[in-house]
Amino acid sequence: MSTTLDLPTIGNRADAVVTPRRRGFWHNLWRVLRRKPTRMAGAFVVVVFVVIGIIGPWLYPANLPTDSNLILSGPSLAHPLGTDFQGADVLALLVTGTRYVLVAAALAALLTVVLGAAIGLYAGYRRGLADSSLMRITDFVLTIPGFPLLLVLSTVWKFGSALQMGLVLGITGWGGLARSVRSQTLSLRERGFVEAARGLGLSTPHVIRRELLPNIAPYVAMNLLIGVTTFIYSQVGLFYLGVLPFKAENWGVMIFLAVNNGVTQTGSGLFYLLAPLLSILLLTLAVVLLVDAMDEVFNPRLRED
Amino acid sequence: MPKAVRQLAGHLLRGLVMVWIVTTFTFVLVHEMPGNPVQAQYESLIEKGFSPDAASRQVAVTYGFVPHGSLWSQYGHYLSRLLHFDLGKSVSAQGVSVAKEVASAAKWTIGLVLAGVVLSFALGVVLGVVAAMRRNSRLGDGLSIAGSLLHGVPQYVMALVLVTLLTVKWPLFSTGDVNGLIQPGFNVAYIASIISHAVLPATAFALSSFGGYLLTMKSSVVSVLGDDFILAAELRGLSPGLVFRYISRNAILPLFTVLALSFGFMFGGAVFIESAFNYPGMGALLVSSIGQRDYSEMSGAFLLITVAVILANIVADLLYTVVDPRVRRASGT
Repeated sequence: MSTTLDLPTIGNRADAVVTPRRRGFWHNLWRVLRRKPTRMAGAFVVVVFVVIGIIGPWLYPANLPTDSNLILSGPSLAHPLGTDFQGADVLALLVTGTRYVLVAAALAALLTVVLGAAIGLYAGYRRGLADSSLMRITDFVLTIPGFPLLLVLSTVWKFGSALQMGLVLGITGWGGLARSVRSQTLSLRERGFVEAARGLGLSTPHVIRRELLPNIAPYVAMNLLIGVTTFIYSQVGLFYLGVLPFKAENWGVMIFLAVNNGVTQTGSGLFYLLAPLLSILLLTLAVVLLVDAMDEVFNPRLRED
Repeated sequence: MPKAVRQLAGHLLRGLVMVWIVTTFTFVLVHEMPGNPVQAQYESLIEKGFSPDAASRQVAVTYGFVPHGSLWSQYGHYLSRLLHFDLGKSVSAQGVSVAKEVASAAKWTIGLVLAGVVLSFALGVVLGVVAAMRRNSRLGDGLSIAGSLLHGVPQYVMALVLVTLLTVKWPLFSTGDVNGLIQPGFNVAYIASIISHAVLPATAFALSSFGGYLLTMKSSVVSVLGDDFILAAELRGLSPGLVFRYISRNAILPLFTVLALSFGFMFGGAVFIESAFNYPGMGALLVSSIGQRDYSEMSGAFLLITVAVILANIVADLLYTVVDPRVRRASGT
């Protein structure tokens, strides 16, 4: 009788003694970032984009001045990235478009990760009725293919604000993550340590948070960051295909207008087309370098020391 | 055997329910569309001097349901049309049935998707294993960064860059109409023409999607490498080839779901590549139908893309039980 009462306390005390003081997440991240200059560069670029996203729209007037004498011009002192087909400054268009792009992508990625990981873990661990009904819902979300669905929805919903865009992208986008988290959980739950935890009679929330989540965390963290880039890609793509109104300030509108004004055919005003494309690439590269660092923070197997 | 058959039947049944839900969704969408296109066509026909009867028959031919009567009778009418594989008539291309247009577009997309997925899967798996094995060397680092970067490059960026470089600056490939002047059929000129049109889109697709497989494979191999049974196999002195088979069989699991899903996903995801290269596939059809407010064509294209995803899901589930004995055992109990 006394053993059943004592076991947990002994376990806790032993834990507290054996486990070394855990260093915080930010401390680990900083240490890992400093190890490679490429990671620092990645972090720097992300911070710069975030700052531009915050203050960008305040730097320029609501309606950008246009110069009809300078149409699709190359880079100059007054216009470092040239001008568009109306003679507006490309750099200004780029800077004012950043906030929409980042806010929508970040919101969508966050929604995706929270929904996807929670549903995948719970379904994979509990199996049974919870699993099959959750997977039925996941199947439904996956079955309606995300991007075509967005295209079809664009006929009734105009995605005027970044929050609307992020919400729709996030709600339609978590299916894939839920499915792969579930399949990893299915494999994990057959492992000894999870069986042991179950044998001890630990509650489902405890097993999911303490035993399963730490094993899934690297994958989920990578998905959060990569999710930001994929959602940048899909929202810019929606604007690029020209199914949404051009009023919104978004990089995709620039690409759409550049292609439709013949930039890919004539080659004049190449910077108008390239500026948003290269911004996407630069931001993606930076996020990739950060993912590399994250991977090492979360996954002890990758640590080199 | 009977168990596998029962499983397949269950999958198919669930697939049918999905299709039904999606058709209901498109029906409601078209029905509740602002400006009500169905009612609008009906009224414009009345104004042209059609009798109410003839006008509603005409509208029913286009959208598969009539604009009046109760919602349920419209819905029933629409479903019974679909059961006969009748997707209505295209509005933009007068008189052509949507089923015909969608089928001819699907042919093109299937070819593109098959070529692209196979190419990128093979590339991704091989390079992913290399990246995991050499993860502490420069080669491994370079491969994973290149993979993540290319994975991050949106398909339209890849496609636009390739189009600008290879068809406008140096016209190596053509992007015009495939059928052009050449007699369609099984002859060299026609096949050569198809290949010269499809190489660039397939390349753009493979380049922009193998990075995903590479990353998944790498992280999966790395996590398997830490498992006890690998250490045990090495300690028992098994040959590296055998150990590698242990690793790959376990590591490739997460990739199968990704693979089968990407087949379905690509039906819709090829939108960018198709519209950048002027390639007459499903995605391009969907975009152009939305641009022209051709809702019957839009529902048809969307429905077919959805069916493709459903089939891919079924294949993924079946594959998964074949490949992973643990899942097979668990689903048996």
